[in-house]
Amino acid sequence: MTTSTDAKSAAETTDPKNWTNRLRGRIEGLVPPGQALPDRQPVYVASWIYVFGVLTLSSLAVVILSGSVLAIGGVQWWHVSSLGHFVNSVHLWSVELFFGFMVIHLWGKFWMAAWRGKRAMTWITGVLLFGISIGTSFTGFLSQTNFSAQWIAGEGKDGINSTGAGAFFNVLNPGQMLTWHVVLLPLVVVLIVLIHIIQVRRHGVVPPLDAHLEG
Amino acid sequence: MIRSLSVVAEGPGRYISWGVVQISVANLTIIVAMIVLFVLALVVPFPSGHGEEADQERHQK
Repeated sequence: MTTSTDAKSAAETTDPKNWTNRLRGRIEGLVPPGQALPDRQPVYVASWIYVFGVLTLSSLAVVILSGSVLAIGGVQWWHVSSLGHFVNSVHLWSVELFFGFMVIHLWGKFWMAAWRGKRAMTWITGVLLFGISIGTSFTGFLSQTNFSAQWIAGEGKDGINSTGAGAFFNVLNPGQMLTWHVVLLPLVVVLIVLIHIIQVRRHGVVPPLDAHLEG
Repeated sequence: MIRSLSVVAEGPGRYISWGVVQISVANLTIIVAMIVLFVLALVVPFPSGHGEEADQERHQK
């Protein structure tokens, strides 16, 4: 039995002027049904070159986890603790792997012209991630609290200041570099990673140049 | 103490010079390893079992 209250509620949920409805519609329409976490892929995806995107993501997860442990211990913890030294090394080497896998992912996508088929935003967000990741690692090297960090800051200050960014991005200020490294830049990286993944799921994995697609 | 200082005061890295190009052996090794990994990813066959062809094979059985 339908009451007038139920009918009114149903009418409200489809009201296009309601911002919650509009937001829900936008979220539901981000990726085609069933494509958010698909368990099947086209046959051409069965190649090792398609693995490097997810390897990059996996490395990023280790980077964030080890960085979180370092944040709990404190920025100078790793200087005085064997466990801290280990976690610092895990953080460094996961970053090395992150960049290595990301560059091989970039080579693969470049040579298969991965911007084809309305995938321009996927490509652009990937390029943005590459650039912002370099900036994030730069602030990480500046946050080491050692002679290496001092040397990098001394070498980098003139270049950064010549762009005018030094007013709010002072590489000689370790506290500011640390907050950029552990708060602001990771937020931007994770946000763009989410947009990148949504774009991949929305348009699908790019086929090889010589793939013969049905339909 | 000396051991910990030796970590701080590591010796200079080895460099290869070729005209205007100068690169450390460590960086060159990493770049070569990445290129090798890239080529291997293109030529080494991926273990099948989850693709459409495998699905078709399962249906045929």
